[in-house]
Amino acid sequence: MDFIGQFPLFYFPEYGSAWIMGVTGTIHILASHTSVGAAMLFAFLAHKAYKENRTDLYPYMKKYGMFLLIFSYVMGSITGPGIWYTATAASPVGISALIHNFVWVWATEWVFFVYEVIGVFALVYFMGKIDTKTHLKLTYTFALASVGTLALIIGIISFMMWPGTDAYYATGSASDAFFGINTFPHMFLRIGFMIMMSGVIGLVIASAIKKENQSLSAELTVKMGYIAMFGGFITLFFFMWYMGTLPDNAHAVFNITKDEVILNRIILAIVFSLYFLVAILKPRFINPTLASVMIGVILIFGLWPGEKLRESMRKPYVAGQYIYSNQIVSRDVPGKGIKSELPVIAQKGLLQVNPFVPENLKTITDSNRLEAGELLTKIACSNCHSLENNGKFRPLAARLQGVDKDGIIGILNAMGAGAFPYMPTLQLPQDEYDAIAEYLVSKQY
Amino acid sequence: MDASILLALRDPAGVPFYPVVFQALYVLTWALHAAFVLLALGSMGLSLYGTMKQKTDSHWKILTPHLIQTGKISVSILIVLGVAPLLFTQVIYDPNWYVANTLSGMWVFIFIYTLIVGYSMYYWYYYANKSSQGGGKLIGLISFGILVFCGILMHNFAVTSIMPNDWMDMYAPNGVVDTSGWTFNIDILRLIFMVSLSIPVVGIFLQNYARFLSTRENFSQEFISHASSLGTKLSVVGLLLSAATFVLWMIAIGYLLHPLSLATVVGVVVLLFLSAKNTNSYITTGVLVIVALLISALRELIRYDIMGQLGYSIYDYPVNLEIPTLLMFLSTFLVMGGVGVAYLLTMAWKVGKTQGIFDGSKDIWVNKLGTYTISIMVAWMVIFFGWGMTFLFKNIL
Ligand code: HEC
Ligand code: HEM
Repeated sequence: MDFIGQFPLFYFPEYGSAWIMGVTGTIHILASHTSVGAAMLFAFLAHKAYKENRTDLYPYMKKYGMFLLIFSYVMGSITGPGIWYTATAASPVGISALIHNFVWVWATEWVFFVYEVIGVFALVYFMGKIDTKTHLKLTYTFALASVGTLALIIGIISFMMWPGTDAYYATGSASDAFFGINTFPHMFLRIGFMIMMSGVIGLVIASAIKKENQSLSAELTVKMGYIAMFGGFITLFFFMWYMGTLPDNAHAVFNITKDEVILNRIILAIVFSLYFLVAILKPRFINPTLASVMIGVILIFGLWPGEKLRESMRKPYVAGQYIYSNQIVSRDVPGKGIKSELPVIAQKGLLQVNPFVPENLKTITDSNRLEAGELLTKIACSNCHSLENNGKFRPLAARLQGVDKDGIIGILNAMGAGAFPYMPTLQLPQDEYDAIAEYLVSKQY
Repeated sequence: MDASILLALRDPAGVPFYPVVFQALYVLTWALHAAFVLLALGSMGLSLYGTMKQKTDSHWKILTPHLIQTGKISVSILIVLGVAPLLFTQVIYDPNWYVANTLSGMWVFIFIYTLIVGYSMYYWYYYANKSSQGGGKLIGLISFGILVFCGILMHNFAVTSIMPNDWMDMYAPNGVVDTSGWTFNIDILRLIFMVSLSIPVVGIFLQNYARFLSTRENFSQEFISHASSLGTKLSVVGLLLSAATFVLWMIAIGYLLHPLSLATVVGVVVLLFLSAKNTNSYITTGVLVIVALLISALRELIRYDIMGQLGYSIYDYPVNLEIPTLLMFLSTFLVMGGVGVAYLLTMAWKVGKTQGIFDGSKDIWVNKLGTYTISIMVAWMVIFFGWGMTFLFKNIL
C-alpha cells in the first residue's frame, strides 16, 4: 500500500482535540442521563397520580417536570451529535470504525430518537389536553424509548473500550462486537446512574414546591431520597462489576492514579449517601439551591474525572483495541479484512504513508528536520499529550523535562518495542525518531 | 487529490451493505432534515416580524406565539433528523466528511456550542414572549442570527467536503501545515438558494395552518383567511426568489440543463401555481416534499460527479455484509417506528382538532396504537436481551 487512511490533523492548542471532546462528552452524559432519568421519573409520577387518583400531582408535573424534561432532552439531543462531531474532528479513524461496524445500530437508535422528539413535545403540551389514561400510556412509551436509546448506544461505547471477547476479530460481526463481556455491567451501571439522577433532579423539584404545598413537598422529597439512594447503590454495585470486565491495558493506566480515584469515589459515595439520608429523614432541610449545587458537584467531581478516566483507560486505543488513539490501525481484523498498518509505517515511515504530508516534508533533510519533527510529533503524540510548554492535557513538557536528545530517542525506541502498555507500539524509521527528538529537544521542556 | 489517496481514506472495514442503499437513505433523510431546517428558519424569522406587530394587530397576536412554538419544535426535530444523513454520509463518503471535519475542526466545535447557546436563547425568547406581548424581540433576533450562523457552518462542512482538489492547499498552504482547524468555505449562490427556501416553506406552512384550523370554531374566519393569504404571498414571492437563485446556482456550476435540475425547475413552477391558487395546501405540501427530494438528489449528484471525475465511486466500495443489525434496523424502523409515530401523529392531529379535552381512551385508534406501541417496545427489549445473552454465552462459555 502506498498510503494509509490518515486525515488532516486538527490540534486544539494547549489542550489537544481529545480534551475538547471530553468536555462535550461530560455535558452530554449529564444531560442524557438526566433526560432518561426524567423520563423514568415522569412515568413514575404519572403512574402514581393515575393509580392513586392524586390529581394534586399534575400541576407540579406540568410546572417543573416539563422544563426539566424538555431542557434535558434538548441538551442531550444537541450534545449527542456534539460528541460525535467533536470526536470526528479529533479522531476521524476511530469514528469511522464505529460507523462502519455499527451503522445499523445507530440507525436503529435514530428511530427511537425520532419517537422521543415527537413524544417529548406531545407529553408536555398535551398534558391537560388529553385524558389522564392516554397520557399515562404516552409516558410509559416515552420512558421505554428512552431506555431503548441507552440499550443501543451502550454496546458501541463498550466496544470502544474493547470488544470483550476475541470473537469479533474472527467474525467481524456487529453482534459479537456489540455484546462484549462489559456491555451489560456497563448498561446497568448507567441505568443505576439514571435512576439516581432522576432522584437528584426530583429533589430540586420537590423542594421547590415547599412554599406552595409543604406536605406534598416533604412526601416527594422523601420518595426522591429513596429513589436516589437506590440508584446510587445500583451504580456502585455495577461499577465494581464493570471494573472487573476491563482489559489489562485499562488496569495498567488505572493503576497510575488508582489511589486518587478510589479516594474520590469513596468521598463522593459518603457525601451523597448523607445527602440522600437527609432527604429521607429531614426532608425540610433540602432546598432548591442545595439540590442544584449537588447536581454541579456530580458534574464537576463525578462525571468530569470519570470521563477523563474512561478516556485514559482506553489507552493506547480509541476503539475496539485495533485502532490507536493516534489514528493508526494496530492489528489485523480478519473478519473484516482489516490489516495492521504498523509494518508499513515501520518500513516506510509516517511521512511517506500519510497522504496529507506536503511534498516538501515527505523526505527529511537538514533544512526541514525541525518542521518534519513537529509534524511527526503532532501526528504521533498529540492525540494523547499536549505539546506546548504550558500544555494542559497529559503534557509532554512534564514527562520529558530535562531529557536530552539521546534520552528521547531511547524512549521512542522503547515505545517502538512496546515497552509501555498504555502507549502505541509505534515503530518508526530512525530518521523519523531523530526528527521527533530534535523537535522535542528544541522545545526545551 | 488523486484516486489512490481517496481510496486509501475509505474505511478498511468496508461498508456493511450495498452502497446504493446508503445513498438512497442519505437523499431521503437529508430532505427531511432540510424540510425542518427551512420550517424552523422561516417560522422563527416571521415570528420576529410578528413581535413588532403583536401589540397592535389582533391577528399577529394569535399568530406570533404559534410561529415561535413552531420554530421551537422544528429546531428539535431538525436536529434529530440531521443525525440520519450524518450517519449515512459517513458510511459512503467518509473520506470527504472526515477531511472536512478535521480541516474545520474549530468550526465543528463552535457549531455545537453556538447551537446550544442559540437554541437555549430561543427558549428564553419563547418565555419572554409568553409573559409579555411583543417581548423578547432582541433575544429572539440574536437567537435567530446564531441559528442562521449554524446553518452557514453546516454549509461550510458540506462545501469543504466536496473540494478534494483544494484540500491540500487548505491544510498545508505553500507546504506549511496548519492544524488549527479554521478552514472555512462558502459557495454563496448555493447557500442563498438553500436559505431562501425557508420563505416559501413557511408560506406553505401557513396555508396548511389556516386549513387545519378552519374546522375549529374558536378561530375567527377573518384570522384564518388572513393567515392563509399571508401564506400565499410569502410562498409566491419566496418561490420566485428561490427559483432565481436556483437558476443562477445551476448556471454557475453548469448543471442547468441536467434532467434533475430541469425537473426541479418544473417542480418549482408547479409549486408556484399550486400555492398561488391555494385550493388544497395539503397537495401543495406533497409536491413540496417531491421538490425537496429532487434538491436533495441534486446535491448528491453534484458530489457524486465530483468524486467520480477523480476516480472515486461509492459503488466500488468493498461490501462486508452485516445482516443481523440490518434486520434489527428494518424491523424497528418499520414496525416500531411506523406504529409509534402513527400513534403520536394521530393523537396530535386529534388533539389539534378538538376543542377542550380529547379523550383518547374512547378513541379506538389512539387507544389501539398506544397499546401496540407499548407492546412492541416491551417485545423489543426482550429480543434485545435474548440476543445479547445468546451471543455472550456463545462467546464466553
Ligand atoms: C494512545 C495515547 C498516547 C500516545 C499516542 C502517546 N502517549 Fe505517551 N503516554 C500516554 C499515557 C496514557 C501515558 C501514561 C500516563 C501519564 O504519564 O500520564 C503516557 C506517558 C508518556 C511518557 C511518560 C512515560 C512514563 O511512563 O513515565 C512519555 C515520556 C511519553 N508518554 C511520551 C510520548 C511521546 C513522545 C509520544 C509520541 C511519539 C507519545 N507519548 C504518544 C499515552 C500516549
Ligand atoms: C440550527 C441548526 C442547523 C441548521 C440551520 C442546519 C442547516 C443545514 C444546511 C443549510 C445544510 C445544507 C448545506 C449545503 O448543502 O450547502 C445542512 C446539511 C446537513 N446537516 Fe444541518 N443544520 C443544522 C443542524 C444540524 C445538526 C444538529 C445535524 C446533525 C445532527 C445536521 C446534519 C446535517 C447533515 C449531515 C448535512 C449534510 C451534509 C453533507 O453531507 O454535505 N445539521 N444543514
